[in-house]
Amino acid sequence: MQVSTKKNPPVWTTGWTDILNTGTWRSAVPEHQNRPSPCQAACPLGGEIAVWLQQAREGRYQAAWLTLAVNNPFPSVTGRVCHHPCEGSCNRGEYDGAVTINALEQFIADLALQEGWTLPSPADGRDIRVAVIGGGPAGLSCAYQLRMRGADVTVFEAHPELGGVLRYGIPGYRLPKEIVAREIQRLLATGIKIQTNTIISEQNLAELEKDYSAICIATGAPKAKLPPQFSGDDPGVLNGLQFLLDVNRDHIPSLGQHVLVIGGGSVAMDVARTARRLGKQVQVLALEDRQSLPAQVEEVREALEEGIVLLDGAMVQEKVKQNNRFKLTCNKVVLDSAAPAGVLKPIVKPGTEFQLVTDTVIVAVGQDPELAGFSASLPVKNDLLEIDDNQATGRAGIFACGDVASTERYVSMAIGGGKRAARSIEAFCRGRSSADDGGAVGTEPVPCQEINTFYFPMTPRKEKETIDPELRRQDFREVKLAFSAADARIQAERCFSCGHCLQCDNCYYYCPDLAIVKDSMPEPSYSILDQYCKGCGLCVEECPRGAIMLKEVKR
Amino acid sequence: MTRMLLNGNHAAAHGVRLAHPKVVPVYPITPQTPILEKISEFQLQGIMDADLMTMESEHSAMAACITASLTGVRVFTATASQGLMLMHEMLHYASGAQTPIVMCNVNRTIGSPWGFWPDQTDSLAQRDTGWIQYYCESAQESLDTVLQAYWVAEKVLLPAMVMHEAFYVSHALEIVDIPSQEIADAYLPPFNPPHRLDPEIGASWGNVVDQDMFNRHRETLGNSMEAAVEAALEADKLWKKLTGRGYGVIETYRCEGAELIIATTGSMAGTVREAVDQMRDHGVAVGLLKVKLFRPFPVDLVRRTLDGVPKVMVLDRNFAPGTGGFLHHELKAALYGLQNGPVIHGYLAGVGGTNVPPVKITGLAQEALEEEPTVLSVWKG
Amino acid sequence: MINVAYEIAEEKIFCSGHHACPGCNAALAFRYIVNTLGKDTIAVVPPSCGAIISGPQPLSSMRIPVYQTTLEASAASAAGIKRALKTQGKDHVHVVAIAGDGGTYDIGFQSLSSAAERNEDIIYICLDNEGYMNTGAQKSSSTPYLAYTTSTPGGKPTAKKNVAEIMAAHRIPYMATATTGYLDDLANKVRKAKDIRGMRFIVILIPCLDGWGVADHEGAKISRLAVQTGVFPLYEVEYGTKYTLNYGSQGIPVAAYINRQKRYRHLSPEQIDEIQQVVDADWENFKAKFTT
Repeated sequence: MQVSTKKNPPVWTTGWTDILNTGTWRSAVPEHQNRPSPCQAACPLGGEIAVWLQQAREGRYQAAWLTLAVNNPFPSVTGRVCHHPCEGSCNRGEYDGAVTINALEQFIADLALQEGWTLPSPADGRDIRVAVIGGGPAGLSCAYQLRMRGADVTVFEAHPELGGVLRYGIPGYRLPKEIVAREIQRLLATGIKIQTNTIISEQNLAELEKDYSAICIATGAPKAKLPPQFSGDDPGVLNGLQFLLDVNRDHIPSLGQHVLVIGGGSVAMDVARTARRLGKQVQVLALEDRQSLPAQVEEVREALEEGIVLLDGAMVQEKVKQNNRFKLTCNKVVLDSAAPAGVLKPIVKPGTEFQLVTDTVIVAVGQDPELAGFSASLPVKNDLLEIDDNQATGRAGIFACGDVASTERYVSMAIGGGKRAARSIEAFCRGRSSADDGGAVGTEPVPCQEINTFYFPMTPRKEKETIDPELRRQDFREVKLAFSAADARIQAERCFSCGHCLQCDNCYYYCPDLAIVKDSMPEPSYSILDQYCKGCGLCVEECPRGAIMLKEVKR
Repeated sequence: MTRMLLNGNHAAAHGVRLAHPKVVPVYPITPQTPILEKISEFQLQGIMDADLMTMESEHSAMAACITASLTGVRVFTATASQGLMLMHEMLHYASGAQTPIVMCNVNRTIGSPWGFWPDQTDSLAQRDTGWIQYYCESAQESLDTVLQAYWVAEKVLLPAMVMHEAFYVSHALEIVDIPSQEIADAYLPPFNPPHRLDPEIGASWGNVVDQDMFNRHRETLGNSMEAAVEAALEADKLWKKLTGRGYGVIETYRCEGAELIIATTGSMAGTVREAVDQMRDHGVAVGLLKVKLFRPFPVDLVRRTLDGVPKVMVLDRNFAPGTGGFLHHELKAALYGLQNGPVIHGYLAGVGGTNVPPVKITGLAQEALEEEPTVLSVWKG
Repeated sequence: MINVAYEIAEEKIFCSGHHACPGCNAALAFRYIVNTLGKDTIAVVPPSCGAIISGPQPLSSMRIPVYQTTLEASAASAAGIKRALKTQGKDHVHVVAIAGDGGTYDIGFQSLSSAAERNEDIIYICLDNEGYMNTGAQKSSSTPYLAYTTSTPGGKPTAKKNVAEIMAAHRIPYMATATTGYLDDLANKVRKAKDIRGMRFIVILIPCLDGWGVADHEGAKISRLAVQTGVFPLYEVEYGTKYTLNYGSQGIPVAAYINRQKRYRHLSPEQIDEIQQVVDADWENFKAKFTT
């Protein structure tokens, strides 16, 4: 309270309230924070999806592609075959449909190939020499990340060409070989050395250990599992992996008119749809029922559209060969839900017996790594090379990634594993690993409740167009068409940009106390004025994308 | 100068015209309506450049006066009785804002019950609102006092009301000298207050102040009100110089050697003048004390005037329950402690508009000379 | 690029450091009103939360002159200022009255209606928080049906007065409704009003956090629900005849709006139904005004 000793002042005001400190009122203060988007958290290779989508929105496609390339050297591949868990976790899925991240990745990546954009130059160094055994997606991803960190990398590949399942597994109608070749070629231009037609065995391993600072084993899972009824030699029974390998090498095997594919995963679908394109009548018999098939939903749907018959929840009990044809006695089954994880225990449903007649059986019930060459010197568990969280095997300097060390058999998982292995190898060789992820780590991804959907008018999601089933099963042309540039623009707009501030200024506009100011140096951002912020949280509520959070203030 | 036959209302209207107010919020009520009607005519004729605001109530009329004045222009309005009552909140607001508004209030009885009769209670009941108050007995005086009121109000920065009674003055015709515009302009400087609502200045007015500030502000108002006596005397002196007409803040008539002085305000003073002449003719030593400036009450002047006078008879055409006659009340307070002060008879005469002719006054004077006074006011019809 | 939802040009008139409650939507409205009208403005504020927001003496939260008036007299006071300015040749200075619903719908209604009838050249903005919130949440004639206030603890038995339509019926040049959840619409309406001569009236729905029982950060969100449920459509009327709908009902059930406010906590499902029916019927009738 003022003490009156002065002359009577007039009762007119003499100044402004901005000298008052209302910051002392608050018990919470907002903070702009770069937080992981759920898509990034779900992405097996940790892609900064919100960042490259924003770059795409701005029309800066090359920048978007470079952001993709930080974590993934094959976006044209993943843009076609990835099982897109990003879309499954997309916050927009709760609203009007997930963002079409996969299709947009494809659009940007194809543009990169079209424009001939090159990968960034690797760091200098060549102080460490690393051998990567296996030229599939895991091995190539590991090689790429190491090469970008300045390592001298050599990839050893058993087959004549690099690519692994990309080249020799996934059929051309899902993944054109030309795309694979061009992305690998672009990758090799960074200076990765290769030795194809080379199989590494136990003995070679010891030599490699002398010549290289570290080794990464990425030999995949090329050994087909065979159920007991179908092991042994019968020309009418084919192994699915071999079948695809042959077709991808243009050695079309001879098939009877009726083909039965046994298995419910992606490989089984690939096999079935390939056989269909070879003009055959195809049925697929799987233990799991339709909703539980390991194959992607789209793959199953497309297979059915192409005229493939699905016999789900069934298994073969008896096989009889007659007149060069197979007569199979089958039963409907349910899978025992009490079985341990990863183990399929079918229970026959009584009274559901049925007969199948077919000329060729192709088995695609799973695959294992070929461990014969390594099992003496490296720990093995559950038919996999055993690794820790850093992709390290029990033996110093030897790491593993991809299908050889994991049962999560997705291309994106392989790429992610390869990246993790590269980081670990670098840490092993140099004592430290360089940071790569954009800093949005260690915090929870933005949940959908924090998205303010008022700011997002409903816009429908657009699916990739598929070619008419009648047309597409006639050959191996790509089944799904990429977005047009116009569609890409519209669909990219749908990204909420969860946790990534886009400088939309909502926080600035919604402050009743003008306590948020816009800074422009060194780059556009915001500051909270300590003297005024009352901690009401309007800015947090009005942020469309959860890029600002309230933090408790302790006094 | 023009000479015209005018009633009190129209005379006041001419006074207002000469003062050039820029904004005139109006609301009709008997018996002041002719003031505003005349002003409307002047405006329509183009001889008065004022913006008339036809408000929907007196309260709003005063609200608009305050803000227009605070924006820095001269304003005017008029009212009476109920209208003044309705304005009561805003009267306080106006003086608190130190806005030099001039308002004519035609004294009329206040309801309930209804009446339209001359009675000064309406304005006297506002004596605490911080407004300067003048009571006029004639049309001429009203015209002259309007201009004096602007002079004083703008000098001390307090609002001022100029009273004349319903019908006795408001509607009665007399010969009035209307000064020229040149004289009025020479008399009243333009109004240009340094503190005002103006984006160029940017200061704001009126929000909650703390106790200390409030206390000091009230003291400021008190000081302004005290300064108004001097200012009023000055204003009157100047006016006399320019027009030959002066009224003082009080007027004494034939008070030399008076045994009894009759004190009153407003039109009653005119009737008392007659009564005094009659009584003097019969050898009774009586005189008239007319109080023109009621607020601020010219305490020193009144004390000096009544010092040594044996008796005073107050005639109040006004009354408040518990207070009695207002002039009676003020005089008792003003004369407190005066060693040789008079005894005071407070007579309520004319309350509610009853007729008080000279013969009644002489009768009352006789009573006052003979009887002992009472502390409280006495009803004399 | 849908990056930016709002692009609002502002002059720097409104100051930080004012004493509004944290999250106050009335302060938000003040910001956009005075920052849009700019420095050649004089504001009139009656007793209300606005008086608190105006700043504690001797400081002001607005870099323009602000006159605090009595509760009944906002429109009359504003008119007096504008008339005076005109006589001073300062007709370019805007005069805006920013009053609460008490000072607009109730005690201030008379002077408002009269100012409208005289087509005074002022902007009158009502910050409508549906009650006498500054004095602790008593009922005003703007309080909606069944809402709790301290003077209607069982829920207000009568409907909210429709001041927007009443003012439209005065046929003034411009009447609009607005709310803080649609910030650009609010600022646009003030900007539009700024360029019109004659009486302009805008009523802005302001959720009062304390009075309605709403979380500090949810004011704007609640105001949007008021619009989207059809309780408070955003529209404009010019000269009493030309109706333009800006944002109307999106068919969201009124329960979505009601259930977020503690002042409706006591409502039974039947009462909510009743409100829904009234809202639906009102919306049907109201829509008819917009078919051209």
